[in-house]
Amino acid sequence: MFKLKTLTQALACTLLLSAGWVQAETPQDFLSSYQAAAKAADTKFQGFSARRGEQFFKTTHGNDWSCASCHTSNPATVGKHASTDKAIDPLAPAANPKRFTNPRKVEKWFKRNCKDVLSRECTALEKGDILTFLMAIQ
Amino acid sequence: MSERILVWDWPTRVFHWSFALSFAGAYLTAESERYRDLHLALGYVFGALILFRLIWGVIGTRYARFSSFSFAPIAVLSYLKSLSQNQAQHFLGHNPAGAIAIFLLLGLGLLISLTGIALEWELGAEDWEELYEETHEWVANFMLLVVFVHIAGVLVSSWLHHENLARAMITGYKQGQASAAIQGRFLWLGVLILIGILVFLVMYLS
Repeated sequence: MFKLKTLTQALACTLLLSAGWVQAETPQDFLSSYQAAAKAADTKFQGFSARRGEQFFKTTHGNDWSCASCHTSNPATVGKHASTDKAIDPLAPAANPKRFTNPRKVEKWFKRNCKDVLSRECTALEKGDILTFLMAIQ
Repeated sequence: MSERILVWDWPTRVFHWSFALSFAGAYLTAESERYRDLHLALGYVFGALILFRLIWGVIGTRYARFSSFSFAPIAVLSYLKSLSQNQAQHFLGHNPAGAIAIFLLLGLGLLISLTGIALEWELGAEDWEELYEETHEWVANFMLLVVFVHIAGVLVSSWLHHENLARAMITGYKQGQASAAIQGRFLWLGVLILIGILVFLVMYLS
């Protein structure tokens, strides 16, 4: 039975990969693309800052929620959904290697969650700062 | 002689509108984490309603039974053709096009409920989460499309038959032979379903 389960999962993964649903990337790949986008948006772009990302992560932006409301102020630990209390896997790649490996997923959740916290989508600069902060956590 | 007769029992009508409202509500609360509790509550109601309808489709009153509106594909084509030629065939219960909508909406709804539950309860392997998520969203969007086609179909059929089908789904009455009427109204079951939904929603959300 165990073998069948593994085989089924492998098959499902292969299908998903070939369908382009899962594209394996690394957090660094995301950082590079945010960097290119941030440069394109602002010629005076000086690079991302983990400190700025941390501050952005932990403060509210006009609404009642911050990113930390669900992901906690230590994103290397298990988070808790602010309205359902459901456990959320750690966000920091060091604590959860699955994070920032799938572009579809990353962009979908950045979009949803930024809208909840900021009532708008995040800029490339903000995403890059957040990711820099998350990647600095060991 | 044609007279005003009962065609849709209470549970069927309560199901129809609760199903529509829970789908609309869950669809509208899907985009924000802020409404996740309400989305889940409506999702559970939606899923439970489907289970009820599957049972009622077997043991319910005459026109609520699946056997009364399981048409062959040829009957569906013939009905659509009769609509286009402005000589609409008349059905006291569900017409063949409506029947397609019902089976499609129940099937899609079941798929949405199962993937939603699998996501929230974290069933199966972790790698499957993405598949559940995509299926849940894609099928919900497809179901919305089917709902629009269903509403358009109801409008067209109502107009061609000079019969307000939406009102019949509220009052339960249509014009027909007295002998074709259903016997039981099952008001108690309709009320029970409504109370069940309201009690569940209040308890879940408080």
